[in-house]
Amino acid sequence: MGISVDKVKKRNRWMILVGAALFMSAAVIMSGIYRKISFNKDRVITVGVFSDSYWEVQNGYSYQILEDAIALFEEEHKGVRVEYVSGILKENYPEWLAEQIILGKAPDVFLVFGENFNDLAEIGALKDLDELMEEDNDFDKDSFYSSALQCGQYGEEQYALPYECAPKLMFVNQTILKEEGIELPGEDWTWEDFYEICSRVTKDTDSDGIPDRFGTVGYTWSDAFDSNGVQLFDRKGTECNLTAEGVREAILFIEKLEGLYGGYNVTGKDFDLGRVAFQPMFFSEYRAYKPYPLSIKKYSGFEWECIPMPSGEGGDNISELDTLLLAMNADTSQPGYAWEFMKLLSGDERIQSEIFTYSEGVSVLRDVTESDMALQLLIDSAGDHGGLNMRVLSSAVENAAITPRFRYSGEAVAEVDKAVRDIMEGSSNISMEQIIWNREINKFLKTRSKE
Amino acid sequence: MEENRVPNIIFAWMLNLNLIIILYIAGIMAGGLLGYVHENTALEFMQQISSVTMAPWKIPVMAVLLYGSLVLFLCIQTENSALIYTKIVVEIMISLMIGYLLNFSYIGMILLILADVISRMTKVRWKYAAIGIVCGIFLLTDYNLFAERYHITPLETYLIYYRGDVRSVMLGVKNMLYSLNILFFIIYTIQLMRVQMSEKERILNLNDKLNQANEELQLANSQMEEYAKESVKNAETQERNRLAREIHDTLGHSLTGIITGLDACITLMDAAPEAVKEQLKVIADVARNGMTDVRRSVKALRPDALEKMELEKALVQMMEETKKASNIEIDYCCTAELSHYNKDEEEIIYRIVQESITNAIRHGKASKILIAISMEYNIMYIWIKDNGVGCPKIEKGFGLHHMEERLEMLHGSLNCYGDNGFVLEASIPIRWGEKR
Repeated sequence: MGISVDKVKKRNRWMILVGAALFMSAAVIMSGIYRKISFNKDRVITVGVFSDSYWEVQNGYSYQILEDAIALFEEEHKGVRVEYVSGILKENYPEWLAEQIILGKAPDVFLVFGENFNDLAEIGALKDLDELMEEDNDFDKDSFYSSALQCGQYGEEQYALPYECAPKLMFVNQTILKEEGIELPGEDWTWEDFYEICSRVTKDTDSDGIPDRFGTVGYTWSDAFDSNGVQLFDRKGTECNLTAEGVREAILFIEKLEGLYGGYNVTGKDFDLGRVAFQPMFFSEYRAYKPYPLSIKKYSGFEWECIPMPSGEGGDNISELDTLLLAMNADTSQPGYAWEFMKLLSGDERIQSEIFTYSEGVSVLRDVTESDMALQLLIDSAGDHGGLNMRVLSSAVENAAITPRFRYSGEAVAEVDKAVRDIMEGSSNISMEQIIWNREINKFLKTRSKE
Repeated sequence: MEENRVPNIIFAWMLNLNLIIILYIAGIMAGGLLGYVHENTALEFMQQISSVTMAPWKIPVMAVLLYGSLVLFLCIQTENSALIYTKIVVEIMISLMIGYLLNFSYIGMILLILADVISRMTKVRWKYAAIGIVCGIFLLTDYNLFAERYHITPLETYLIYYRGDVRSVMLGVKNMLYSLNILFFIIYTIQLMRVQMSEKERILNLNDKLNQANEELQLANSQMEEYAKESVKNAETQERNRLAREIHDTLGHSLTGIITGLDACITLMDAAPEAVKEQLKVIADVARNGMTDVRRSVKALRPDALEKMELEKALVQMMEETKKASNIEIDYCCTAELSHYNKDEEEIIYRIVQESITNAIRHGKASKILIAISMEYNIMYIWIKDNGVGCPKIEKGFGLHHMEERLEMLHGSLNCYGDNGFVLEASIPIRWGEKR
């Protein structure tokens, strides 16, 4: 070799130095530390929001709550700016968020739809908030509705805070009930009461041989399962529980209800026309229609009231809860300020009370929802008492049944829907069908979790 | 040697090929991600992946940075075991990071480490263990083994973005590049083996040559010995001839003169007794001259050292010179006074000692010689022993024979024993009458 030992040593030292430098720069890029280096004095937090209401309503107040929260936040935290991109429509928002995550440009804090939450939590796009919650003494977990908080949990961890929610309630056409001399059912009414009223109001009023007044519309197997204590899946989504006794009861009950109408397909329009006594609706749907002059006209033909869903034998008066979540980017460079801002948006009563003013959902804070101010706001916006009982609303949120939270849960629920439909259409033994379908769905879950 | 560089050239090819593969896969991934965003199908992609993907620009940038550092570590040349093992660990770490970056769809960089380990670790302990571990990592780092546990999205998910026909071409190219990498590795190992084998052959060749040279040297050595023996014989012959000439020139001359003179005397005896007297005087002169000549001749045979200095000094000097010349140990012990002897006595003492040392070195190959000289009742004893090979059956050569002859002239005696080294005992009666 023409190279002396000294030269080799010197060359080796250089190679180790440069190699280590390259390695370190790769590590810096991977960890994302470089993003903390900023030549700007101001710290900036970005927020991902959409322009219209989650509840499908254009109310003109799209960024009002956010703007108020930003003003409050920037006042409390000098030197921190909060920015957001405006103009993203709700229907485009999940795609926009996914693109930002893929490009590595996701906002520090962003809203998450319930239907996207499982995917985002599964792939690790959301920051685990448990530590931040534990360490923060200002944060009061108990001020939230536990069910709403549960919607932001995936596995054992809290990946998102609830921002606003809407429970499913039973809307009652009081006019029909009064005509029939039936009293408004109590808050703890049962399937039996429900069926009895339905069978009593189902009539052929104009005597043309076809029934033109019905008991209920839009009451699904899912509502029946929720109110009969059925937990369809285990926590991790590996096992289906379609063989439970509650399932059988629920299916039988729905069959019984539908048997009342003699094959007539009742639609939402029938309810709008005042021909149906009961329709389950999200609270937000009710509020969305209420302020509009057109809607008022639509419903003006009858008086109505909302009460909890009827309870099955094995369950309680509980129903589904639709929740809009607020999550933190797992990759954020400002977890401290991001957490403060999240806390302000979803845990601060000043901001949460604005939900009743500018949105159609329900605040996720118990004290805000149960306050007199909230009631007053609702009454003001509805123009009358609106048949609202805040206790009913609050307990519906509190006791809501939580949809399964595992990846592919949407597809799994679709499978169950197919199964229930098939069982109801089929004429064979329900229990047998339950076992067969349960096995089928378990197989589906198994292949899905393997992927 | 040109041939020795072939594996290095193949290794360089492998380095380039791996860079191409890594960039290719990083490109496919980044391109796929940007494609999903471009087509507004990011949400669909998001529903299929197992974990959040890296930002598109990060994948190729980090891949190049990490690969660059891997290449630099691979090129470190060292024989230090600790450094080599650290190097391997760091290299494996970097490779796993690149693998992670590429969702473990490619881990062929491990072959580079393996090639490096095989070629550079000839002198390192646990070589096979190291090779085994690297091989194990290469075999175990398979996408399918890690996918479930570490939430890794397969490369195919990224590829879904591309059109079906493009996708199959891309996969084909990918598989071709993977195979090419393995092929390079195999060629590399074969070449490396070839080089190592020819190296061994070269060493064997050199060994043969060395043996041959050794044999030739031995032959030359024995020839030299023969030659030395011959030259001793020559010297003997020359000495004899000189003696013959000397005798002939001196004694022969004088004796001839004496005989001729005496013959004349016999003839003259009766006729001229006076003339006989004169003649006898002349004869006596001749005889005296002859005697002088003999003395001169004998003197010419005496060792040089004895001419210049006294016996004791001459002996000591001779021994010192021998010690210096042959690196031999000589123990000399003399209890007798070594001055005022007759010249022939001095000479024989000197010659015995000289001859014995020469014999001990030449024939006995001794490393140590003991010499003792003592005097008892007018008889001088010389006792010389060496630790050489000795000789069980003593055949007296010229030296010993000569010594014996000389001793006999002085009525002395000589005894030799050769069973334990070589021992020589000589005794010389000293003629005190002539002393002083």
